[in-house]
Amino acid sequence: MSLKDSTGVEAAASIDGAPASLAAAAAAAARLLTQSGQPLIAGLGADIDGARAAIALAERVGGVIEHTHSAALMRDLNSMRETGVMLTTPGEARVRADVVLLVGDGLTETWPGLAERLLTAPARPEGVDVGRRIVWLAPKLDATIPGFVGDIEIVAAGLGSTLAANLAALRARIKGRPVAQARIPPPALDAFAGVLKAARFGVAVWTAASLGALEIEMINGLVRDLNETTRFSTLPLAPGDNGAGVLVACGWIAGFPMRTGFGAGAPVHDPWRFDAERLVASGETDCVLWISALGAAPPAWLNAANVIALCEPTTQFTKKPNVRIAIGRPGVDHDSVLHSPDAGTLVAVTASAQSATLSVAEALQRIGACLAETRAPPC
Amino acid sequence: MLTHIRNAHIVDPANGRDEIGDLWMRGETIVAPPQNGAQADETFDASGLIAMAGGIDIHSHIAGANVNTARLMLPEHHRAHAGRPAETRLSQVGWTTFDTGRLYAEMGFTTVVEPAVAPHTALHAHLELADTPIIDKALLTLLGNDDFVLGLMRSGESASAIRDHVAWTLQTTRALGIKVVNAGGVAAFKDNVRSFSFDDVVPYYGVTSRAIVKALQKAVHEIGVPHPLHVHCNNLGLPGNFETALTTIAAAEGLPLHLAHVQFYGYGKEGPQGFSSAAPQLAEAVNAAKSVTVDVGQVMFGQTVTISSDVVRQFSARGSARPKKYAILDGDANGFGIVPYEYRAGSFHNAVQFAVGLELFLMIDDPWRVFFTTDHPNGAPFTAYPDIFALLMDKDVRAEWLSRLPAEALGVTTLPSLKREYTLNEIAIMTRAAPAKLLGLPDRGHLGAGARGDVALYRPGKDIAQMFRAAALVFKDGELVVREGEVTRYKYGRALHVTPTVEASMQRRMSEYYDERYGLKADFMRVPEGAIHRPQPFEAVACAR
Repeated sequence: MSLKDSTGVEAAASIDGAPASLAAAAAAAARLLTQSGQPLIAGLGADIDGARAAIALAERVGGVIEHTHSAALMRDLNSMRETGVMLTTPGEARVRADVVLLVGDGLTETWPGLAERLLTAPARPEGVDVGRRIVWLAPKLDATIPGFVGDIEIVAAGLGSTLAANLAALRARIKGRPVAQARIPPPALDAFAGVLKAARFGVAVWTAASLGALEIEMINGLVRDLNETTRFSTLPLAPGDNGAGVLVACGWIAGFPMRTGFGAGAPVHDPWRFDAERLVASGETDCVLWISALGAAPPAWLNAANVIALCEPTTQFTKKPNVRIAIGRPGVDHDSVLHSPDAGTLVAVTASAQSATLSVAEALQRIGACLAETRAPPC
Repeated sequence: MLTHIRNAHIVDPANGRDEIGDLWMRGETIVAPPQNGAQADETFDASGLIAMAGGIDIHSHIAGANVNTARLMLPEHHRAHAGRPAETRLSQVGWTTFDTGRLYAEMGFTTVVEPAVAPHTALHAHLELADTPIIDKALLTLLGNDDFVLGLMRSGESASAIRDHVAWTLQTTRALGIKVVNAGGVAAFKDNVRSFSFDDVVPYYGVTSRAIVKALQKAVHEIGVPHPLHVHCNNLGLPGNFETALTTIAAAEGLPLHLAHVQFYGYGKEGPQGFSSAAPQLAEAVNAAKSVTVDVGQVMFGQTVTISSDVVRQFSARGSARPKKYAILDGDANGFGIVPYEYRAGSFHNAVQFAVGLELFLMIDDPWRVFFTTDHPNGAPFTAYPDIFALLMDKDVRAEWLSRLPAEALGVTTLPSLKREYTLNEIAIMTRAAPAKLLGLPDRGHLGAGARGDVALYRPGKDIAQMFRAAALVFKDGELVVREGEVTRYKYGRALHVTPTVEASMQRRMSEYYDERYGLKADFMRVPEGAIHRPQPFEAVACAR
C-alpha cells in the first residue's frame, strides 16, 4: 500500500498525523475500538456493502450506528411509524403527476434532478401528454427552483411554525372546515385547496432537511384526506450520502434504522440516546469511527473524541484524527450499490475510474481482522 | 467427505420410501449406499428420528423493499423480539434477514421463495436474500400492472412480444417465476378505481384482469418456466369472493396456474354477519381443476403485519390497522401496502378465516396441489408453521383450538365436522416433494441419489408442534447446520433463478422505453453478481424450452 495517494497530498493511512502502513493503522483503529466503552460508527457515508460491514462491526464491538443525515431521515420515518403515509416513486411521479405540490425549501439541493426529471418532463401517465400544474408552498414569494423556467404557482407560506400553521389551514380548507386566522389570505388558500382537490394524481414533494416533524405530519395528513376522494401521494426526497440506502440496509440487518446500539447484546434503537452529537457531547462515547466516502465534511463535534477516520485523502480536519485510512469513492473508484434518487431504489453503479483505493467495506474488514476474536460475526 | 445417517424413519414420497433406513451423502449430494464397504467420515445415529428432505416454502414475504418498510415501520415488533421469552409469538417473528434464515433452518426448511418483488427493486430484494443465512432462496417478479405489458396489450401486439418481455424481466431481475397481483387493479388504483374484478377493464388500457392473467399465463408457459404463473386474485378478503376464485380457476383452461393464499378467497356471504366459509365450493373447484395448484395462506391468531402488493385491498383495509398506521405505495409497475393487523380468536371474522384455511387444507384431496403457507406474515408469521402441522395432523388438537373460538363463527363453516388427519407422508409431499416439482427443482424435495444434501431430521413425540419447531438435525448441502433446534453453523445459500433466452430486439426496445418514459437506463434494475458480495450467490434453474 502506497503511503501517498495519487495527488501526493496526504498519506493513504496515518496515525496521529504521521504516515503509517495500512496494517499499523488498522491495528491502531482496532485498539481504539476495543478500549472504548461505547464506540460510535458515525457519518456512515458509504455504499451498501460499506454499510453492511459497518453494522457488522458495530455488532461485534458493541457500538452504535449513526448516519450524518439521521435527523432528517428520522423525521420522515417517524411520521410513518406514527400515522399513515401514501408514497410514490420518482418514476411514477414523473410519468403520472398532474399536480406537483412542492413544500418548503432546499428541494434542489437535496435532489438536483428535481427540475429536469420531474418538473420539466411532461406527465404521460399512459403515454398521453397531460398538463402538469406545479404549486409551491414556498418560503417566500420570490423563491425560485434553479434550472426550472416553467410556471409555478407560488404561495408564500414561510418555514417552521409558520409553514406548519399554513399547512394546517390548508388541510382544514381541503376538508371544508372553517379557518379563523389563516396567514395566507382565504381566497388564495381556497384556490390552492381547489387545485389539490382537483388533482387526478397529485404528488407532494419535500425534503425533511428543511421541515420539522409537525410540517411533515401535516403534509401526510393532508394527503390522506385528499385520498378520500381522489388520488394523491408523496415523494419525500432522500438525503445525500446514501442516507436512504444506509437506512434500508440497517432495516434488514439490524431490524431498526440507524441510531441503534449493540452494546446490550441485542440491538436497541433509541433516536435520542444514540444521536451521535449528543453521545460525544455527553461523554457517553469516547471513540468515533467516522466514515465519509461520499463527500460529507467532518462535523465540529468530532473534535471532542478519539477519531478513526475513513475518508477521502483530501478531507480536511480541524483536529487531526488519531487514525486515518484513505478510501475511494463508491461508484467512482470501485463498483458499488447506492440508493439512486432518480430511480428511487438501490442501483448497481459501475466504477467510472476504477482505482486500487480501499472501499469502506475493505477498510472495515482490515480493522475487523485486527480485533481480538470475540464471537463470530453473524453477518 | 462421506456422511452416513443410520436408522432413520425415512419419509420420502417422491421415491416411494416410508421405512427405516440409511442415508448417505458425499459432499453436497445424497448418494446411493457405497457398495465397496467405504467407511463414512461422519456417522449420525438417527434411530427414532424422522428424516425428510429440507422443507420448501413457495410463498413467504421475507425480503425486499416492502418487507423492509414494514420492519422500519414497526420498531415495536423488534422490542418484543429482543425482550420477551422465547415462547411468545412476537419473539419469533423472524424479522431481520439473519433471523429469517436462522428460524427457517431451525424448523428444517432449506429453500424459501419471496413471492412479490417489483422489477425495479430486484437488486434490493436480492441483497436482502443474500444476507439471509443457511437457506437457499428465490424471488418471483411482479408483472401485469406495469405500463409496458398493459401497453403491449392495448396496442394489440403479438403474444410473442409479451413472451419476450416476460423473458427479459425474468433474466434481468434473476427471478424464478412471475407473479401477478390483482391483475390490472393495482394499475387502475392510480386512476382512482377503488375495487376491481376479473372482468373489469383497466382505464385507458382497455384490458381486463382476465386478459392480463391469460396473456401472462401463456407467456410463462411458452417460455418453459417451470413454475406456472403465480396469481394473487382480485377481491381479496371480501365476502362472497369465492366466486372470483372459481372464475379465475375456470380461466386456467387446462394450462398450469397457481393461485396464492386461497384462504383469503374462501368467503361466502351467508350467516348472521354476512360472512361465511365457502371453502367447500372452493375446494371442490380446486379438486376438479387438475392444472391448478394453490397455497393456503393459513391465518393464525396474534399480532402480525400485512404486506401486500395489492394496494387496492390494502388501501381499503387501512381503517383496520392495528396499531393505527400504514403505508401505501403507488410504485413503478406495482405498488405495496403495509397494514399492521392483529388476528383475534374472539373475532367472528378472524375465526372464520382461521377455519376456512384449515377446511381448504382438509378438503383439497391432493397434497401435490395444495401448498403449505401462511402467506407470511399476512396470515401469520412463518414461525407459526409448527402449530399448523399439529392442527392438520391431529384432530384432537384441532378440537381443542375450536373450543376457544366463537361458536357462531364455527357455525358458518364445516370445520368441526372434518375428521381428516394428515399423515407424515402427506406433510412431506406438501412441504417437500410437491414444491420441488412446482418450482422445477429436481435436486430438491426428495432423498434419492443425486438430490442435494438438504435433510431435516425430527424427533417425533406427542407434541407435533414441538417436533416441527425444533429439528433434531438439519443438513444443508451435506453440512450439519442445526442440532436440537439450534443453528450450529452459519453459511450462506444461493438465490435460484431461471435463465430464459432473451431476444436482442426486446433488449433494445426496453432501453428505448426506459429512456423515453423514465429517463433511466434500462439496466438500472440489473442484478450483477459482483454487487452481492457473497461467493456464488446465484444458481441457474433450467427452463423446459
